[in-house]
Amino acid sequence: MTFELMSGNQAAATAVLKAGVDLIAAYPITPQTAIVEALANFAAKSQLKGEFVSVESEYSALSCCNGAAAAGARVFTATASHGLAYMHEMIHWCSGARLPVVMANVNRAIGAPWCLDPDQGDSLSQRDTGWVQIYCAGAQEVFDTILQAFVLAEEILLPCMVVFDGFYISHTYEVIDVPDNETVASFIGKPSFRGQVVPGSPANIHGLIPSESLHRHAERIHKDMISAGERFKKINDRFAAVFGRRYNCMETFIPRGAKNIIITAGAMAETIRWNLPGLPDTGLIQMRMFRPFPAEEIRVVIEELTIEKVIVIDRNCSAGAGGIIGQELKAALYGMERKPALVNLILAGGIDLTAEMLEKVSRLNVEKGTTSEKWGCDLS
Amino acid sequence: MERMNELRLHGRGGQGIVVAASIFAESVFLTGKYARAFSLFGAERRGAPVTAFIRVSERRLMPRSRIYSPDYIVILDATLNKNNLTAGITEKSIVIINAATEEENLRREIELKGATAVYTVNATAIAWKYNLTIGSFPLVNTVMLGSMVRVSGFSTLKNLYTAIRKRVSVSIEANLKASEEGFTSVKEVERVGT
Repeated sequence: MTFELMSGNQAAATAVLKAGVDLIAAYPITPQTAIVEALANFAAKSQLKGEFVSVESEYSALSCCNGAAAAGARVFTATASHGLAYMHEMIHWCSGARLPVVMANVNRAIGAPWCLDPDQGDSLSQRDTGWVQIYCAGAQEVFDTILQAFVLAEEILLPCMVVFDGFYISHTYEVIDVPDNETVASFIGKPSFRGQVVPGSPANIHGLIPSESLHRHAERIHKDMISAGERFKKINDRFAAVFGRRYNCMETFIPRGAKNIIITAGAMAETIRWNLPGLPDTGLIQMRMFRPFPAEEIRVVIEELTIEKVIVIDRNCSAGAGGIIGQELKAALYGMERKPALVNLILAGGIDLTAEMLEKVSRLNVEKGTTSEKWGCDLS
Repeated sequence: MERMNELRLHGRGGQGIVVAASIFAESVFLTGKYARAFSLFGAERRGAPVTAFIRVSERRLMPRSRIYSPDYIVILDATLNKNNLTAGITEKSIVIINAATEEENLRREIELKGATAVYTVNATAIAWKYNLTIGSFPLVNTVMLGSMVRVSGFSTLKNLYTAIRKRVSVSIEANLKASEEGFTSVKEVERVGT
């Protein structure tokens, strides 16, 4: 066990190095650039056993990863914002082809206009592409989740996106526990899936099929995605046995007697945890897994603790619908007999979550069973 | 030290502020405390305003927001926008200024906001003395780090040296000397008064 000071981006690159990847293809973009720089450095110093492919775009990066994964390789890419958007077609292809690609996405707003701040709309707008999405609240989580993501992706044969906030995590230097290579290898093992193609033996795969076949294919992907929640728990049991740290689909920080619960994903979770003692009867659910959405787990918490008000904090906005996590949560609460009030605090644009906003939003009076939308700029 | 302490650094792109924040965090970590450092620099341009944030605590859990009411404000360039430099100053705030530039008006505003103490260090001159420059642009970061260690007491000069050796790859000896001079020459200054 070695404790080291490193940024979230360095934590991501170090995890990828230790994961024993066969191939990395990535294109730099702020605020992800330091991941690509670090990985290129590992490759230049021959520390990286796999291949590092310099590509001319994000589209090529994911295409390259898809091809290598089809041949049975363990692959990684990283991007952010416009880079992720540029990958969009290949993002669909990757999950449809059942390729266990692991990607880090560092949240950054998508233009126009240009902005570098950590709006989550880049990754959340890819929610319907058949990728597992896991959000991290700090550099240690980034490191650990990347290792877990390879295991999960290779088990369910679906790609996995590890997401963390630009600057608030990517550029934050903090102390993390970096396990040695042998310990990581004992958890992650060798790639456990078979390639779909064999180099040297040309084959046509994923060719034209009738809609009835695609219908079945979509159903299998959907069910395998749903199974990711349970499988992730088992992977975490194994992770905890090796590393002594445990993560779940969601983490709960709920004081006795809490009447309010804040739900969010990413870096904001630690800001909220820090401020919880000063907020009236308030707890926190930190969502780690967004796809599949842990609807049942959240419902159980709200029902068993008779929570009266749920505050969903979204650093994103789907125009015309509101916060994206807020939308998912409303769907998750459908059919509940005792519906809590739901306040959706929207910090679109990637604005900072302040103690003042938390204080104000936690004291809002909202009638049970109704919803309310607040914008961060109106609370500071 | 039970409570968390927050530091905010103001400088310009090219002064090494992002590296400085990580070096300070490393030196605090070597002293046995938790530290987090991050920067906001927008587009990466020489001369553009850069703000860095550092948190120091006995506990691992710290917020991940910007710092609005700092315990320490470290000003690498006193010609930056005064509203930004003095934002959130309270009676608990301690301010360290690179005094190479005309800073009396700035100090007056800092005093008006009630800062508990103001320190100055002639960081630009020290950087020139040790040839810590890129072209004609003095790199004052390691000087200011020495001053920050002295004034805050969150680390030691020895641990700062270790952190500099780990995170700086050029002119290491000059940077160590510059940081030592920043440590020894930083002084609390009398009030300018109104």
